[in-house]
Amino acid sequence: MNRTTSAVPIVSVAMAGVLLALSACSSSSNTTNPSNSQPSASASANTSAPAGSAAAFGGMAEGPFEGWVEGLPKIEAPAGFDWKQFSGTQLNFISENTPPSSALAANIGIFEKATGIQVNIEQSNLDIVAEKVGLDFNARNANYQLIYADPYQILSKQSKNLADLNDFNNDPSLPHIPGGLEDFIESQLQADGYMGDTEHLYALPYDSPTMVLAYRKDVFDKYKDQFQQEKGYDWTPSANMTWDQYYEISSWINDKVKSGAISEVKYGSGHEAKQHDSLQADFSNVLGAYGADYFEGENLGSVGAARPGKSLLTSPEAVEAATMYKKLLDIAAPGSKTWDWTGVAEAFAAGDLAMAPIFHENNAMFEDANKSKVVGKVAWSILPKGTKRSANLFGGTGIGISKYASEKEQKAAWLFLVWATSPQAQYMILKSEEAGSTPTRHSVYNLPDVKKGMEPGTEEAKAMPNLLPMNAVLEAWKLENVYMRPKVPQWPQVDTIIYTELSKMLFDKQTPEETMKAIAKKSDDITGN
Amino acid sequence: MALRRKSVYAVLYVVLAAAMLWALLPIVWMALSSVKTQVNMFSMPPKFIFAPTFHTYREMFSAKGNFGEFLTNSVVVSLSTTFISVVLGLMGGFALARGNFKKEKGISSWIISTRMAPIPAVILPLYLMFAKAGLIGTTTGLIFAYTTFNLPFALWMMATFFKDVPVDMEEAAMIDGCGKFEAFRRIAVPTAAPGIVATSILCLMFSWNDFAFASVFSGRGTQTVPVAASLLISQHGIQWGQAMATGTVIIAPMIVCGLAVRKYLVRGLSMGAVK
Amino acid sequence: MPQLTETFDRPEQATAAARSRGRAKGSRTEFWMLLPSIVVLAIISIFPFLFLIYASFMDYSLSIDAPSFTGLDNWRRVFESDTFWQSWGRTAIFGVAGLALELLLGVAVALLLYHAPKGRNLIMTLWMLPLFVAPVVSGLLWKYLLDPTYGLYNWFLERIGIHTQILGDISTAMPAVILMDVWEWTPLITIIVLAGLQSVSQEPLEAAEVDGASGFQKIRFILLPMVRRMIVVALLIRSMDILRYVDTITIATEGGPADSTKTIGYYLMQVAFRFQDMGTAAALGLTMLFVTMVMGNIFVKMMKKGEG
Repeated sequence: MNRTTSAVPIVSVAMAGVLLALSACSSSSNTTNPSNSQPSASASANTSAPAGSAAAFGGMAEGPFEGWVEGLPKIEAPAGFDWKQFSGTQLNFISENTPPSSALAANIGIFEKATGIQVNIEQSNLDIVAEKVGLDFNARNANYQLIYADPYQILSKQSKNLADLNDFNNDPSLPHIPGGLEDFIESQLQADGYMGDTEHLYALPYDSPTMVLAYRKDVFDKYKDQFQQEKGYDWTPSANMTWDQYYEISSWINDKVKSGAISEVKYGSGHEAKQHDSLQADFSNVLGAYGADYFEGENLGSVGAARPGKSLLTSPEAVEAATMYKKLLDIAAPGSKTWDWTGVAEAFAAGDLAMAPIFHENNAMFEDANKSKVVGKVAWSILPKGTKRSANLFGGTGIGISKYASEKEQKAAWLFLVWATSPQAQYMILKSEEAGSTPTRHSVYNLPDVKKGMEPGTEEAKAMPNLLPMNAVLEAWKLENVYMRPKVPQWPQVDTIIYTELSKMLFDKQTPEETMKAIAKKSDDITGN
Repeated sequence: MALRRKSVYAVLYVVLAAAMLWALLPIVWMALSSVKTQVNMFSMPPKFIFAPTFHTYREMFSAKGNFGEFLTNSVVVSLSTTFISVVLGLMGGFALARGNFKKEKGISSWIISTRMAPIPAVILPLYLMFAKAGLIGTTTGLIFAYTTFNLPFALWMMATFFKDVPVDMEEAAMIDGCGKFEAFRRIAVPTAAPGIVATSILCLMFSWNDFAFASVFSGRGTQTVPVAASLLISQHGIQWGQAMATGTVIIAPMIVCGLAVRKYLVRGLSMGAVK
Repeated sequence: MPQLTETFDRPEQATAAARSRGRAKGSRTEFWMLLPSIVVLAIISIFPFLFLIYASFMDYSLSIDAPSFTGLDNWRRVFESDTFWQSWGRTAIFGVAGLALELLLGVAVALLLYHAPKGRNLIMTLWMLPLFVAPVVSGLLWKYLLDPTYGLYNWFLERIGIHTQILGDISTAMPAVILMDVWEWTPLITIIVLAGLQSVSQEPLEAAEVDGASGFQKIRFILLPMVRRMIVVALLIRSMDILRYVDTITIATEGGPADSTKTIGYYLMQVAFRFQDMGTAAALGLTMLFVTMVMGNIFVKMMKKGEG
């Protein structure tokens, strides 16, 4: 009888035993693998002088951080500034799980050693980050002092809960943004940093994924002449390509694949058209190209506004764009409707697609032989034009500071922000083995090795695989080419309506015109117009 | 007769085998994929024979992958909440089944309704409570949160089991001079053993699998395995190899555990102590 | 509020219960045994419930931390929205099909295992494995199996001439997520029902054997009625969870394509987490709570009817 009573403990003990054994393995590998937490060798090679030793111009002294290289603005503080005054402070940084945050986490020792501030980087999916930040603000808890402030899902709604960074940057007793605000790429500073006006600065640009066109150089070179003969123009993707041509090229490749003439790829093009945020992003590229946009209103894409105007989607340009988008998706790889940005990138890496609009930081995956069959075969261009322009969706984010943190924590968080968004940290992230994101700083792109890395085939391009698309991306970031989504608090809802209705359109449940009307009606409902 | 019985059993096992194939093929494929290189994972036609690599596992359990920490958190939280829920549930379930409460219907109705809470909607009030109590990001908070769904379940399961267990033996024991609690401990609990095991396993499973609460109430250092799994999906791709390895690692202990308690898992009372 | 307690009163046990109650020296011991559970549940359920009612009259749509009173606006918006009713429609399909398949398969396997002379332990251990593949991982696993480029199941389907994008087609996505749910959760029914079968007394079965009852008759007239209570509990637990939990859908389809897998649970998650519109979420949540309770009540009544 007593044997049966012990059933519960046996379950527990058995479980505990097995799992302890498993976790024991993990702790032993912890000790055998210390090299991971070290900063990458190249970044730490150029160690800067400790604070104070180089009494610099204008009463400024250089910060004690490793990793500075010739050509970058230095991290500086007023002479005599004690970088260790917040020693012992604990900061929590909540971030989306992105390669730059992994790279930052791996190299956080540089910051902790210099300041004595301990930074915990917690990574989650963007939806969960937005949710946790909202809950944290709601409880006035400041569990997170440092916030990954996605412009559309977080900043637009929560700006009043974020500290004004101008207060720190203008404080004569604190270090300032190295290289100044003008070293940030302007369109990114506006989208990531401001909300409603440029009076208050809420976040500093941190990462910068952007949609551009990835294509298979091998395929486009090999069949170039044949296409030229049949269609009468050079099909190599460039700033001159239009969405009509893109359509024509994609169908041409599909036909040749069917007839067996092309075997390198399976489809002409692929898209991220799953019922998901990605569908809206993919569609926005076409919408912007035809000169249309989502709402009436000034500067919605740059500084944003608390309340957008009426929906503009019933305009003829918007309907034209939707019609074109439907056309593009009808001939795209059939998997497109199940792919988000991850899916389309994987299909491209698997060698299935000749071209696709893709976030540029996927190039690291394309050049990784463990994950990709297209190593060395990828080239990039800005996206095709519509009747108006080329529109390339920007998807970057900044970091901000919670207003509910104590004054001491806020200042400590400012030191972190200064470092994490500094040119040298951005350069370090670029070079890290996590193949982090591409910098948000002009000065980094002017470094000689970074410039070399943008050219295919160089040593630098191999070491920093995300630089390969940068020629196209720098072009895409120009104000005339970049597409910035409207930054309004209602965006998460409107966005959901957009991609849900578009998904219905792709399954022929409604025409492009009906789709645009439906979105306009529902979004006016939400924005109160 | 013997021949007929044999063919009945043959059919029985054929049907069971088909059910097993349906249940296990995805898991076998998951385990196989976890020891493939990424290129092999994505090769078409699918590869059944290949040189295995344990690279993914090494990466997961490295300092950077930090999977050991996630696993430890999951184990601690799941075992604690299971223990609390089953112990409270045993006592409470017994009380509900045997007690003479005036409002019994109302009480048990209310108990089960606490498990129906639509999670996304109650996250905000729970968060506010937890923040006040300083439980955000702590293991204790998570254990508490999991008890919200495990305790009502355990109470109902145990109450139902005790109702099905004949009361005669408890009464006999009480006539012999045992107190009510003694009768519960010495007679009722052993009799309901299959129910206790089933309840423990399912409580363990509910907390082991939870993502909705863990994603919000855990913080860095207290994240559990399902949260770790969700991190494999990012803007820059799904780490398929790690996803498959994670799946394999989280069910491996269950195979061992299942085999360890198999005696209690599948045993008729007829063979037990009662008869 | 519907009463869900009928399970506890089965006619044939009523007399036994009455006997036991009659002899008990009051219910003091039981009171103290139940009290800790009641206290814990009260702490975690009363405030959230009151908060839901409060929030359903507040407007959170612009900011999560400073709501304003809006009266019945949230309720009106919920009931007027097409998405709400369509999501319930899809939830009905998802729930009914999922629960029916799980119940059928789960009870069948439990009965087979109960009768299997050998290998029960091993088979049961393996059979319950899908339960422990966390829904997040299970969503990923099925996505991987059904992937149009490299999925194993997709490859099998192509061998037999089916070239559909299973998760990317409005006609197949829903059946696919139902089957995912069935795969993961059927063992739960089996565990509960089998545990019930284990506790069944052997005497009626032996008596039936003597009377020459067939195997089917024994199952239909003796075994199933004896575990009816366990079946109801299993069904009740599954029915509330099938509404609440949407991890698999979140990973595999995110409600798409063209909304074909957007259930009420997924819709609620979108409103609460993505839109952070807690007022609407509270109203939605309360309707879900209400439906779950009514549903539970119906199950219990149905089972009682079959008994009489």
